[in-house]
Amino acid sequence: MEVETKPVEDSVPKINNEVAVGEDLEFQRVWWKVERAIWIFFLLLIIADVLGAFGRGWLAKAHRISSDKSLDITYERIERFNTPSILRINLSPAIVHDGKALLWVSDSLLKGLGNQRVVPQPETSAIGQNGILYTFPVTGPTMTVEFGLTPSSAGTQELSFQSPGFEKTKLKIFVMP
Amino acid sequence: MSTIIHAVIGYFWLLFTVRFLSRRPGAQMTPFEFVLIFLIGGVIILSCVGNDHSETNSVIAVMTVGLLHRFVSALAVRYRKFGAIVEGIPLVLIDRGQRRTEIMWKMRIQDPDIMAAGRVKGARTFQEIRYAVLERLGSISIIKNKDE
Repeated sequence: MEVETKPVEDSVPKINNEVAVGEDLEFQRVWWKVERAIWIFFLLLIIADVLGAFGRGWLAKAHRISSDKSLDITYERIERFNTPSILRINLSPAIVHDGKALLWVSDSLLKGLGNQRVVPQPETSAIGQNGILYTFPVTGPTMTVEFGLTPSSAGTQELSFQSPGFEKTKLKIFVMP
Repeated sequence: MSTIIHAVIGYFWLLFTVRFLSRRPGAQMTPFEFVLIFLIGGVIILSCVGNDHSETNSVIAVMTVGLLHRFVSALAVRYRKFGAIVEGIPLVLIDRGQRRTEIMWKMRIQDPDIMAAGRVKGARTFQEIRYAVLERLGSISIIKNKDE
């Protein structure tokens, strides 16, 4: 069986009518402009990242105190997918009763933000009201609870904390893909 | 599914970044450019496979990238402008013995790069080179003066 053939055409533009190169300087000049714009864009992205606009930096760090000052929360408003971080809550002495502090957290802490551990270990944890109610033993004058988060899905997550009888505190955390 | 999405994003992001490096890595690779290739490849693979180190995952990622590459190559052949965007175009660096300084500067090409390609063709001095063309692959083709 014969292979199909076609006569050779001089389809590649020549330079000085000597060498077939196929140069397109008009395209290349536009490309250089685009290239320059892209590198400036990359530089801006890197600066934004260093500042923490995409998480793990100064802009990502956040601090919220509930209106009744029962909870003092330090967290990252921009998290990264599958990357560990710590959300820290200082509990006010006002919420401690009989050496115990109760803290309710919405279930997004587990579902979207992938809570891996709670320090200190809660005495009890009960599921209910779209969240988990933890009971912590309190021995000292101050009490800090740490949640180790490893977000399992990208996007905005709404997170709520409340000690029964006190104000609810809502946070929005954006998880970068 | 997540592997496929990550592989697609990784492929296009790599293509995008590498295309915007003024001098295409691949040909005339110096140790300096080796660092770039290995580092970029190593970083992108992390997000591509994630925590799933299974054979299935790596096979899927490889097939996705392979298929994408074939698709992009087919488009580059079919549409000349698209080909110019993803693969670049040849540029003349030396024209009838004259340096085109604007192009050399913007493509980060120096005299020793051209002379290295010239020596492969048997050129002993710059004056022996009539044309030097920076090819799409990043290599430099040399055409010597006829009487050399």
